[in-house]
Amino acid sequence: MEVFTDYQCPSCRNMFEETLRPLIQSDYISSGKVYLVHHDFPLPAHMYGYEAARWVNAAARVGQFQSVEAALYDNQNSWQADGSIEKYVAAAVPSSDFKRIQKLMVGCEYQGPASTKPASLKTGVQPSRGCALDTYIEQDRALGMKIPVQATPTYVISYKGNKLPAGSGFVSWPILKQFFDSLLSQ
Amino acid sequence: MNTLGRLLLWLTDHGYQLLLAGLIVVLCIRNAKSRRKVVRVLLVLGGLVVGAVFLAAAYGKMKPLPGLAWSWPSVKTSLAMFAIQVDSYEILPSAAANAVAHTLPYFELFLGLWLVTCVGQRFSAPLASLAICGFMIAITTAYFRGLKIDCGCGIGPPEEVGPAALLRDGLKFLLPALLVTFGAFWIRRQPGASDSPAVAMASSTTGTD
Repeated sequence: MEVFTDYQCPSCRNMFEETLRPLIQSDYISSGKVYLVHHDFPLPAHMYGYEAARWVNAAARVGQFQSVEAALYDNQNSWQADGSIEKYVAAAVPSSDFKRIQKLMVGCEYQGPASTKPASLKTGVQPSRGCALDTYIEQDRALGMKIPVQATPTYVISYKGNKLPAGSGFVSWPILKQFFDSLLSQ
Repeated sequence: MNTLGRLLLWLTDHGYQLLLAGLIVVLCIRNAKSRRKVVRVLLVLGGLVVGAVFLAAAYGKMKPLPGLAWSWPSVKTSLAMFAIQVDSYEILPSAAANAVAHTLPYFELFLGLWLVTCVGQRFSAPLASLAICGFMIAITTAYFRGLKIDCGCGIGPPEEVGPAALLRDGLKFLLPALLVTFGAFWIRRQPGASDSPAVAMASSTTGTD
């Protein structure tokens, strides 16, 4: 299951809190029944979505993807008001890892809405030069464009080499679990 | 896709055009007896068109997912996938969405078969109209809540909820259903009416009308 999300998207937060978190905590992932793949798809309408994706990508490079992802979704209402993402990242990881994350974020700092407005979906222009993390985000965005992702969250479920039609919007855990059970029983 | 499937899709796509053309013909006919005959023909056609809509919808929801063959487990999996689409409307609680997803396709199948028989159209056609109205209301609420989701109707390629889906549903689905509804009640009020336009047509061709 590939999921395209924006960390500033409220529906993505609901999906994470009520569906993906139970999925991750269940034995579907640990037993290898389901592979959950996250893709970044920050939307231009969300001022800090791209910045949040950078922080999570940096955290992933030091092995702290899950804790930072959870921290950002859990505190979305707070940091989306003023872009204060860094403090929530700092609170979610050990200080040694946070220092490493900060090093990776050099050159990726958000400079204000006028200068680093996230790239439009149509132009694909890099939002700022010198941020190595943007490569990974843009790769995900390019993948999403092929589907095409028109809203977040969008998810694509593949089964035995067959890609099922992409779905978008919130889906509850019991409904998704039922679908997985049915598919896995085939 | 087999011939039947292609025919169903053709009827859902173009049936409303045939019915509208027929309606124009009816309005141009002055002779009452001739008008009744034409209306009976249109009611049979309308039954097929609206029935095709529901049969296509049921088929679209029940058909096996890519890579799976037709079987009872694969139908259950397709209905579980449909439950995801119903859930994405965020109108019903999960349990209710699940229940709807596992009963609606069978209801559509039943209603589609009933409609194509053209029996009891005074009951089947209003029921079809109500069902389509309910669906259009769901699409409208999803659209105004800003949800960008697949309409989940199962007919043709996936369509996002919005004005385009509403226009399609209104023109291709609701309009034929309403025409059949009004026609069924109109023909019933005519002298020498019969419940089934197909029976009435058969009677008229044998000279017993």
